[in-house]
Amino acid sequence: MIRLESLQGRFIDHLRRKADFPSAWCAQGTVDSETGLAIYANAYTARLREALEADHPCLARYLGDELWSRFCAGYIEQHPSRVRSLRGFGAQVPHWLARNPPFSQHLEVAALAAFERELMDVFDAADAPRMDWSAMQEFEHPDWPHLRFGFHPSTRLLTTETNAVEIWRALKDESDPPPGGASAAPARLLWRDAERISRFRPVQAEELLALRACLLERADFATLCERLAALRAPDQVPALAVELLRQWFDDGIIQAIRTP
Amino acid sequence: MVMGAEAKRRPAPGAVAPGARPWHGYGLGLRTEHFEAVLEQRPAVDWFEIISENFMVAGGKPRHYLESIRNLYPLAMHGVSLSIGSTDPLDRDYLRSLRQLASEVDPIWISDHLCWTGFGGINSHDLLPLPYTGQAISHVASRIGEVQEFLGREILIENVSSYVNFADAEMDEATFLAEIARRSGCRILLDVNNVYVSSRNHGFDADAYIASLDAEKIWQIHLAGHSDYGDYVIDTHDHPIRDEVWDLYARMLQRLGAVTTMIERDDNIPPLQELLAELEHARQVGDDALARRCTAVA
Repeated sequence: MIRLESLQGRFIDHLRRKADFPSAWCAQGTVDSETGLAIYANAYTARLREALEADHPCLARYLGDELWSRFCAGYIEQHPSRVRSLRGFGAQVPHWLARNPPFSQHLEVAALAAFERELMDVFDAADAPRMDWSAMQEFEHPDWPHLRFGFHPSTRLLTTETNAVEIWRALKDESDPPPGGASAAPARLLWRDAERISRFRPVQAEELLALRACLLERADFATLCERLAALRAPDQVPALAVELLRQWFDDGIIQAIRTP
Repeated sequence: MVMGAEAKRRPAPGAVAPGARPWHGYGLGLRTEHFEAVLEQRPAVDWFEIISENFMVAGGKPRHYLESIRNLYPLAMHGVSLSIGSTDPLDRDYLRSLRQLASEVDPIWISDHLCWTGFGGINSHDLLPLPYTGQAISHVASRIGEVQEFLGREILIENVSSYVNFADAEMDEATFLAEIARRSGCRILLDVNNVYVSSRNHGFDADAYIASLDAEKIWQIHLAGHSDYGDYVIDTHDHPIRDEVWDLYARMLQRLGAVTTMIERDDNIPPLQELLAELEHARQVGDDALARRCTAVA
């Protein structure tokens, strides 16, 4: 009797690499075993390719049929799924595109894939309550320097060196995408709003600095002001810090105010 | 003479005759495309079946719709990742996620497939066939036992469509399925379309397959469409249910009595109204079959 481990190992090799599966191990039914094995092997590739296309519709359009097929074949070969859900199969797509020519020669390609994956993460990130600006009024001004801010779990800060987001927008609108080039903004802020709609907007240099401090480093309001002082005159800093903070509350991305 | 529960032909959903299989009526697979329509129209569907993995996410729209629809309809949880036949260790993280989801959904039951989906840590994301051997029965029955103990409930196991049979089979598929159900104590989710598809691909008698199963073990039926390529048939779930599957379903109900039934559509998904019309046809086929059964036993 064939051991179950041996059978499953050879079967998986057949699906992945079209490696021979011993015909003597198959019974002949109405469908000959060669056809039956081909049905499984074709379905394997088709399913993974469909998953990539579902996650990256704009990337697929940007690359066109030939390059998209080359990408799918290469990625599926090098990254067999080791995840439970197809939702995570493409997790390494941006990384793969950044390392494999000809895709790696066009920086916007990997960046476009990274943007699409960030949108996926925003879509089904954890839920959390949101606070509005009035919550800040509950704190006396002397307390403000020590306040830290908890961001909604869907909030993402994506550095954008290329115009991948502009390309994505054009493809989404079924327009001709611009040629690859530099981004109009150094970063994008992405989040899911209270109506569960995914949002994003450009982030300019000052806000990027502020978000790096408050979102990524969990810095307090005093630290935020210190960082902004590198870009603005000291008398302008408090107003700018408040303006940025208020914008985040208005976006609906602040879920908590933390005191020391 | 008319026999007890069969006199009502179609009992009220949720009814459970002592010692008999539960009856939850006629359901549909809950698909993303229909979330809004279900909430707006509140269609006359007795229950919905969810794909468990689709809701193992932290939040957002999937979880929002799940909660809203759960407040309106009973739900069954149907999984595709248990990989009960794999020789890889059971995925404990997956089982924890399944148990957590079940604690939130309170499903009428949890089901998955009699197959394996991966080996050596690689997931094919397909429902792959097992050899019908005593070795496989011991392996699968033991793992179902572990899963049931972990979840604290019996699960339903579904027959899959297959395109390859293995030469060292020691029995037919129906015997394999029946023995696993007997040894593990699990129930059977019988996919009538899968029985038909495999019967065509492997040349067995679909009616005999169903007749050989323990009727009381069959708690749920799946109906779905397939693609017929002449020499072989593929379980595509992208078409309406074909007449030959309706006929098999009718003959099955005539033999078994009422069994909780649902329609699976996974691709080429039509508007909800189209699936509701197909579900109404299932009700009609079911009513007619049960009426013939009553006449036969009178």
